This record gives sequence, structure tokens and C-alpha cells, in this order.
Amino acid sequence: MKNLYLATGLAMALVQPASAEVRINGFANLVGGITSSDDSLYGFSDEIDFSEQSLFALQVSSNVSDKLTATAQLLARGNEDFDVEFEWAYLSYQVNDKVAITAGRVRTPLFRYSASLDVGYSQHWISAPNGMYNVPANNLDGIRIDYSTFQGDWEIYLQGAYGTFSNPVFGGDFEGKNTFVLTAEATYDWFKVRGVYGVAKSTLSGIAEAEAALQAISTASQPLAEYLRLDDDTSTFSGVGIDIDHFTWFIGSEYTLIDIEDSFFSEQTAFYVTAGIRRGKWTPAVTYETFDSNNDIKGLSFLTPFPAPVQQALLPAVAGVQVVNMSEYDILSASVRYDLEANIALKAELTKRNDDLDSQGDATLLRFAVNYVF
Amino acid sequence: MKKFCSFCFIFITAVASADVAVIVNPSNASALTDKDIQRIFLGKAKSFPDGGNAAPVNIVTADPLREEFDDKVLGRSSSQVTAYWSKLVFTGKGVPPSEVNDASAVIAEVTSKPNAIGYVDVAAVTDAVKVVATF
Repeated sequence: MKNLYLATGLAMALVQPASAEVRINGFANLVGGITSSDDSLYGFSDEIDFSEQSLFALQVSSNVSDKLTATAQLLARGNEDFDVEFEWAYLSYQVNDKVAITAGRVRTPLFRYSASLDVGYSQHWISAPNGMYNVPANNLDGIRIDYSTFQGDWEIYLQGAYGTFSNPVFGGDFEGKNTFVLTAEATYDWFKVRGVYGVAKSTLSGIAEAEAALQAISTASQPLAEYLRLDDDTSTFSGVGIDIDHFTWFIGSEYTLIDIEDSFFSEQTAFYVTAGIRRGKWTPAVTYETFDSNNDIKGLSFLTPFPAPVQQALLPAVAGVQVVNMSEYDILSASVRYDLEANIALKAELTKRNDDLDSQGDATLLRFAVNYVF
Repeated sequence: MKKFCSFCFIFITAVASADVAVIVNPSNASALTDKDIQRIFLGKAKSFPDGGNAAPVNIVTADPLREEFDDKVLGRSSSQVTAYWSKLVFTGKGVPPSEVNDASAVIAEVTSKPNAIGYVDVAAVTDAVKVVATF
């Protein structure tokens, strides 16, 4: 419903006198992939698939006035049957050369490539490191303030965002209220450093198995069930990134950490380093990423007052709700990009996932992509 | 031998490639450094150093001068510049410079708009515009 209001508001803002300039841009990623036999990765299997990571987007923006711009981005994802959705819809007010205020549905500025995450053409790989970038807080309904300035040869860029997010996860709903994200970026010619910190009050609901386990735990210890339940709990996001880009070669790295202390959620750390060279139309690159949410079971101190048999009885449920979201793996990718035209790129990427907890999670994936922008 | 000659040919073409002249309206008194020009064409600066709003004008990618400008002034290939702009366009952070078809259209734009900045082959420069830098 909220989307409808937003859409209507934007549609109205976009209906302009004939004199106003309406810009229409778009991008498309057509991605085909196949894994080695019996493997599965990012939704791909050992039968070739062209829809899982393919998407088509159309963006319409119009200057409402000198300083006010209305933008709507419609996006159809292959893994959602190409149903068209308003990915973003916002009004942007350029206060002056340095400050812009954007309100509506915007991308949460969590990662280095967050803003252009879906625009495959703007990147050297087929998709950004999945373990790090695939978080349910990527889109934010709220307000964002961007500030950019120069300090000598340095470009300084600050972003502050506030709002709410809501996304389906594991068949349930993950929701964040009072979300604050602060981002600072400094660029000197070939060098860029970035830091981000965010907090949200988050709630996970609608997962029957988790509810059942928490219900069972609460009959023995209400405080333990409350501790484990992800209900209006403070979650934190922090990250750092560095990029060195000498044009003929580049290297970039990011490290992020997500924690929701008072909950069954197991702390997640994600890291990647990517490096490549640009030779004419070719950009070969390698990327190595790690993901780790394999931590000690939390909340055991709540069990100590209980006699041993009760502890024994509760432990499977307490550990169970936590272990399901623990994983530890690393992924090595080799990719190549070829600039076919000034707005079309072809890519191929070979990805090898090595799971440290479950060898069933090992996989090899080969993908091809066509990226287009206009 | 044939291979060697084609190599010579490529080399000669590279040497003979056009010099790019960055031009503004004669009424524009701004002194521009290479970095200022780069920032204006990458949308990082929206105004001239003296404070006036800047309206950069690009030549379409079909014209070889565009690749020349992107390479010499912005230090990237045209594909990389397109990739750079696609990041800004699809995040509402910027609108790329307007594009015109050829040098005469750039000169017409710069002549008629006091805040325009464009580039042409040095050989195409006329009295109606002011050259602020050559690359």
C-alpha cells in the first residue's frame, strides 16, 4: 500500500508540463549459468539457467524544478518471474553544490557497490560478492542526505540515511526500524578509503520452525526465549573498504561485520579482495571472498541455573535455532569482461565455493553475462 | 614484414591523433586547471572555480574525438566513462553531460551559452570561443 502511495506520488511528480525534461535510462543483465554436476550455487544448478540473475530495469526521472528531481526505477528480476517492481522511487532535492536530500525508497549505503549493485555494466564482475552483498537491508524507505566536497586534492563524500526496511528471508519477514546508516568516503586520485556504521531495531517474524523452538524454550525459561527471540533488537553493521585504481590495474577490498547481540543471530563477518587489469577492451580479474558466521552457541549462561537433565533437554532447541544460520566458506572467482560497445559488456566468470562446515556446500559455477545500459 | 608495416601504421596513426582543445564562451573568465576540467566532465564539480554554474557538452561516442578526450583528459576509456556515469545515473547522483553530434554543434553550444564548456579538435577552433586548455 505504501508502495502504491509512493508510486502515485512519483507518477504525479513525473507528469510535467511539456517543457520539463524527462530522462529515460535503463539497464539489463542477461546472465546464464551452470554448475558442475549435482552442485548448486546462487540458485543455479547443473542445468543451464538464464533467469536466476537476469534483470531488466527502466528508470524515469524528471526535473520538477531546478533543484527537485523525481526518479522511479522499475526492475524485473528473473528469479522473481520478471515481476515488475518499484525498486526505488524517490524525490531528490539539491540544496546546493554540496548537499542533496533524497526521500522515498532508496538504496541503503551499506557497501562500496551498494548504489550500483544491480547495474552489471558498471562492474568488472558478474555479481558483487554474494556472501557480503546479499543482505535483507539493501533498500530503505526513508531519507538520505548526501554531502560531497573537496579538501585540496581529496574528494570527501558523506552519506547519512534514516528509515525502515522490510524484506522476506527464509519464508519469514525481516524488518528494521529506526535504521541509521552513516558512510564516509575519501578519494585521492587513485586511492579510495571508505567506512560505514549502521544501527537498526530489527525483528524477524513468520518463521514457523523458529517460533516452535522458541515456544518450547519459553516453557522452561522465559528470559532465555526472550534473549534468543529477534524482536526489536539492536543490530549493528560496520564496514571498511579500500580501493586502489591505477586504471591499468586495480585492487579493492571490503570487510563487513553484522551483529545482533541479544538474539539467536550469529555474528557475520564477510571479506573480499578483488584485483584486475585493464588492457584495451579486456578486464580480467580474480576475486577471493570469505564468509564466517560460525560462532559459539549463545545464551548458555541462561541454562546454568537448571539441573543437568533440563539443560540436556533444552540444549538442542537452543543450539538448533542458532546453528541453522551459521556458515563458513570461501569463494574464489576468475572473471573476464570485454567491452563490446560503449554501452555493452560481455563477461564470463568461473566461481569455486569451498564450504568449511558442509562439503555438500562445495560448488563450481560457470556464468556468462551480457550487460547493457542506455 | 607485413606485420611490421601494419605495426608502423598503427604507430603513425597514434602519433597523428588529434589534439583536443577545451573551449568555453569568451565571456567566461574562469581559469581552469586540468583537474577542474576533469571534475566538471565527471560531474564532481557542478560549477566553475569562480562560482558560475557549469554546463559541460560532450561529443557522441561515435566521434573519435570523444575517445581521445576521455583518454587524455579523463584518463579512462569511453567504456569506463560510461560505466562511471551508469553508477551515478542509476543512483540519482548525477546526470551525464549533454551530447551533441559533432564539433560544429559543440562550438554552437559554447557560443550561445555563457556557462557551457566543451571540446573540439584544435583545428576546429573558431574566434567565437575561448580555448582554456589543450591536451
